[in-house]
Parts: sequence; structure tokens; C-alpha cells
Amino acid sequence: MLKKYLLPRLVQYVTVMLIGITMVFIIPRLLPSDPVEHQLSRMTAQGQYLDPAAVEDLRASLEELYGLKGGILQQYITYWKRLLTGNLGPSFAQFPTPVTQLIRTSLPWTIGLLLTSLLLSWLIGTTLGVVAVTYPNSVFAKVAAVLAMGIRPIPYYIMALVLLILFAFVFPIFPMAGGYSMGARMGFNARFIFSLLRHAFLPVTSMVVLEVGGWFLQMRNVASNVVEEEYVSYAEAMGLSRLKIMLHYITRNAIAPQITGLALNLGFVFGGALITEIAFSYPGMGYLLYSAILAGDYNLIMGINIFSIVGVSTAMLVIDLIYPLLDPRVRYQ
Amino acid sequence: MPILDIRGLKAYYITRKYGHASRVRAVDGVSFQVKKDEIYGIAGESGCGKSTLLKAVSGLIKPPLQVLEGEVVYDFEDQKLSILSLREDRQRRRIRGVRISLIPQGSMSVLNPVRRIRESFRDIIDAHLGTVDEARFNDIVRTHLDALGLDWSVMHAFPHQLSGGMRQRITIALATILKPDIVFADEPTTALDVVVQRGVIQLIKKIKREQMNTVIMVTHDLAVHANLCDRLAIMYAGKMVEEADVDALFSNPRHPYTIVLLKSLPRLGDRSVRTSAPGAPPSLVNVPSGCRFHPRCPEAMERCRSEDPELVEVEKGHRVACLLEEGSR
Ligand SMILES: Nc1ncnc2c1ncn2[C@@H]1O[C@H](COP(=O)(O)OP(=O)(O)O)[C@@H](O)[C@H]1O
Ligand SMILES: [Mg+2]
Repeated sequence: MLKKYLLPRLVQYVTVMLIGITMVFIIPRLLPSDPVEHQLSRMTAQGQYLDPAAVEDLRASLEELYGLKGGILQQYITYWKRLLTGNLGPSFAQFPTPVTQLIRTSLPWTIGLLLTSLLLSWLIGTTLGVVAVTYPNSVFAKVAAVLAMGIRPIPYYIMALVLLILFAFVFPIFPMAGGYSMGARMGFNARFIFSLLRHAFLPVTSMVVLEVGGWFLQMRNVASNVVEEEYVSYAEAMGLSRLKIMLHYITRNAIAPQITGLALNLGFVFGGALITEIAFSYPGMGYLLYSAILAGDYNLIMGINIFSIVGVSTAMLVIDLIYPLLDPRVRYQ
Repeated sequence: MPILDIRGLKAYYITRKYGHASRVRAVDGVSFQVKKDEIYGIAGESGCGKSTLLKAVSGLIKPPLQVLEGEVVYDFEDQKLSILSLREDRQRRRIRGVRISLIPQGSMSVLNPVRRIRESFRDIIDAHLGTVDEARFNDIVRTHLDALGLDWSVMHAFPHQLSGGMRQRITIALATILKPDIVFADEPTTALDVVVQRGVIQLIKKIKREQMNTVIMVTHDLAVHANLCDRLAIMYAGKMVEEADVDALFSNPRHPYTIVLLKSLPRLGDRSVRTSAPGAPPSLVNVPSGCRFHPRCPEAMERCRSEDPELVEVEKGHRVACLLEEGSR
């Protein structure tokens, strides 16, 4: 029973990751540029003189380093071997810093930023959605719906710019850019944490403001169908309290799509928030990806993609696994 | 003394679309009384306002439904209350499930799909008795389930794991767990197969015997009424057209609509073709003038187009709303 439910989903999970990671292997190899030659020409262009034998040596060791040695099959095997030992190769642009190290420094920033704004917007949007459905004729419900629909189409960069101009330039309450003040010593001290929060405030706000509306509308739409269900009128007819009906009858029956959405978005956290991070020069994965693209740093792009693939497919697996808990009608079959 | 006294009740669905108000006159001036301990039946084709009547009488009024006129007075031995003048919410909520209760149509979706049966019982008991401890809770529910002949094991099930008939029994058990004075049953046997229907009717009889409550039974199925009720009212297009003891109504129907309804009933041994009333019930947005039944009435007279007959007593305990009855008053 559990096996019948779990096994196909695990197989699917592994398959999706295999395919995705294999694509990440194939795509750069279809490109005309050769990273080894690229690196060599960069070195010679910097004016280093290398005799042909040394160049051959260098080429061999670069091929080794980039996992480009041997036929395509051998390269593929090497690729997996390295991947499984946590080796994503060196960054081309910041040679020879390993890609994993670059990701490791960016990931906490992104996770902090995205997780905070995701959880905040989800919580606020979901709660307001339920309240709007419970009091459908209230002023709040009407105003919230108009606001949600009005704000949602605003592009991220516009919102970021508006906030920056207002609260960093006109009223310089918050910093323009970065993740923390240069002067603050990284670590668990009050000054650093304060500077962290101050820097995160505008990026988080820009995302929360834009994303609350989506969660609100989705929750409101699902919940307003649930309200029409007979079990809700029956609960009213039996004299249950409004709070009880709101939590255990309406929210509980409308929450599944919200949780699925949340889980899926948790998977996207690893990809970073490209536009927001660029706008606020926030040192996260999105910013890293952006600079990798500008610099043509294939290895780094590949590494970030692998993180995203693993993140999203794991999120999908988690959704499948928790769904039967949310709705007892969906059994582990 | 009637336990329930309804006077001149008008309940309309009022909706506004493109600035144009539409009124569905679902209950349009209904008066009747229900005696303590009786089973009072309400019959009529679907769409004639039976469910709306129950909603208005039990104070479950939310837009687009509005009560425009009328009074609904409950006279419980220790308490007399006019439900329509109670402030919404807390006051009305307090009597629901305790003094008045509802058994809805036997359908898939009356029970919360994500809650075990046990939790549904918990919700109702906690709402009215405060949070009772586990032992007391088990005691209350077990006694009730035993009396109803239901097995304790259903408590751990989710609604979807139960058959339609079992779900309906559970709904009935939930509705009566707090021994309400009055039980409203709205088509409790509709959508169930015949064998299950019989079981549900037996169950309602059993509860009535145990708890001595007053039952108001709404269904379009006259066979159920014949089997269960003491008195029976016939509704047509938002109005009551006839009311009498069940026996009197079946043996001596007087309103042409009742006569047509009874003719459409299958009878044992009767092989003649069943006639059903020609035409369909009118829309409740544009109701016919005069007597609402006149366009379909085999006995319609000229006056029926313009005069709306009152429901008047023509024999002791037998009320009819028809102009033909004027002579017998
Ligand atoms: N929510 C509603 N809005 C508008 N009209 C309604 C609504 N519910 C019921 N009606 C109308 O009210 C009339 C009476 O319905 P109802 O009381 O359910 O009849 P019955 O229970 O006898 O089948 C019908 O014409 C129906 O279309
Ligand atoms: Mg009905």
C-alpha cells in the first residue's frame, strides 16, 4: 500500500533529477566555445609567455579539472563521480575558486531572503483570504480584493525601484544595496544582526507586497467554494462557533492548494530571486547567477542549475508525500 | 399548546443583478402550528419552497434569503422565544443542535471530509456543553449510538469510508446527540435507495420514541409521509394549500392540487395509468395572479384568476385554501 504509493513517486523523482542533471551536462557541450581554449587564450592574452610543452601540460590539467578528458561517455561518468562527491568544478570567472564555495557563500543570503518573504507573504495572504471569505460583505474583503488585484501585476523591478527611491533615497531610512554594512563584523553580534535586518527589509518588503496578493486570491477563491459546501451550512445549523467553522471546516478544506504552492515555492528558493537581488545588489543566488551569465561562467551556471533541479524536484516529491495527509480521500495507494 | 407557531411568514431570495432586483417568492405568507410530540409532514413538488421554509423557521437566514414578514415562536416548556427577533449569531447559535436541530438530505457532502466522525461529534458537543472530558464524551456518544443501533467503530472512520446509508445514519445521530426538542428533517431519505430509506425512517421513529421530540418532516415523497407523519401539509408555489391529519388527507383530499398529487401515487393492485398533474409548477419570480394553482387546475373558475384563497378550516383540523370550499364554511 505505502510501497505502491511511494515507489513510483521515488522512481519519478530520481528520473526527473537524472534527466535534468544530464541536460545540464549536455547543453554546454553543444555550445561552440571550448572552455579550455578560452582559459588558455585568457592566460596568454594576459601576456604570460608559455612554451608549447607547458601549454600542452596546462591543457591536459585544465581538461582534467573541467572534466573534459576522454570521450563523451567517460566525461559523463567523471561528471557524475564528481557530482556525487560534491565537486562541481572550478568557476571559470573566478578561477580557481570551486563553484561549490561560491554557491555556499550565496545560498544563505538567498535562503534567508526568500524564505522570509515566502513564509511572510504566505501566512499573511492565507490568513487574509480566510477572513475575507468568512466576512464576505465586510469593507475589508472588498478593499483587500481590489488591492490584491491592483498590486499583483506590478513588475518586481518597478516595486523595487519605487521602494528604493522612497525609503533609501528620498527618506534615507534603509540602505541602497548589499546584504550588510561593510563595517559590521560578520557573526552573531547585535550590530551585525541589526545591519542584516536593515538591509533585508526593503527586498523582503518588495517581495511580500507583491506576493501576498497571489496567496490571498488563491486562498479566497478556494475557500469561497468551500463555504458553499453542505458541510459548512450543516456546521452552522448545528450551532458550531464561527471560529471553529473558519478553522476546521473552511481553512482545513481549502488549505491543500496553499500548502502545495508553498512547498513548490520552497523548491524555487535555491534558484534565487533574480530581479530582486539584482535591484538591491543582494548577494544571493540570483545575483550570483546573473554575474555568472554576464561572465559566461558555464560551470557556475551549471552548478546553480543543479541546485535548482534538486530543489524543485525534491519539493515535488514532498508535495506528493504530504498530500494524503492533507486530504484523507487521497490515500497512499 | 403548540411548540411551534408560525404566522404570516414571507421569505424571499432577493438578488440584484445589473441594478435589477429579482425576487424569488419562495415562502409567501405561510401560517401553521406544530404540536408538541407530533410528526408534522410537509409535502410538495420540488421547488415549491419547502427547504426555504425550514431555513426561515430555524433562523438560518443569510443573503440572498430575507425574511420580510412574519413571526416564528417556539414555546419550549421552560422558555418561549421568537427566533427571528433573536440577535444573529450567539443567541441563535446557542439553541441550534440543542433545542432545534436539522437532518439534511442524505448526500455525500454533509459531513466534513477531512474530519473523522468522532471529531464531528466532538465539534457539536463542545460547541454546546463546553469542552467535556474524554470519559464523559465517550459516555454521551456511546449511549446514543447504542440506542440507535450504530457501531462504535464508525467513530474512527472518515466520511468517504462509509456507505451513503451509514453516512445518513451518522448525520441523524449527530443531529440528535443533544436530544433537541424539535428536529427538522429536510428530505432525509432522498438520494438513498429504497432499502436504506426504510432503515432511515425506522431510525427517525426510534429516536422520536426515545427522545420524545417533535419532528417536522419535509419530503416530496408522499409514501414517506403516509408511513411516518401524524399531520401533513401540502405546499404549492410558496404557499400552503392544504393541511390535515394524515389519514384525513389521504382519504379525503379536498384541494384540487392534493387530489392530483395523490392520483399520481402508485397504488397496490391498481393497473390504470397514473396521471400526473399537467404542466409544471410556476416560477416563483413571476407567480400567477389569484390562486397560484389555477393555470393547472382542472376545476379552475373565472374567479380563481384574480382571487387568492385563504387557508381556512373546512372541517375540524382540516384546512384548505381553495375557492371551491367557500360553501362548506
Ligand atoms: N440561494 C438561492 N437564491 C435564489 N433562489 C433560490 C435559492 N435557493 C432556492 N431558490 C429558489 O427558491 C425556490 C424554492 O426552493 P426550495 O425552498 O429549495 O424548494 P424545495 O425545497 O421545495 O425544493 C426555488 O424556486 C429555488 O429556485
Ligand atoms: Mg428542498
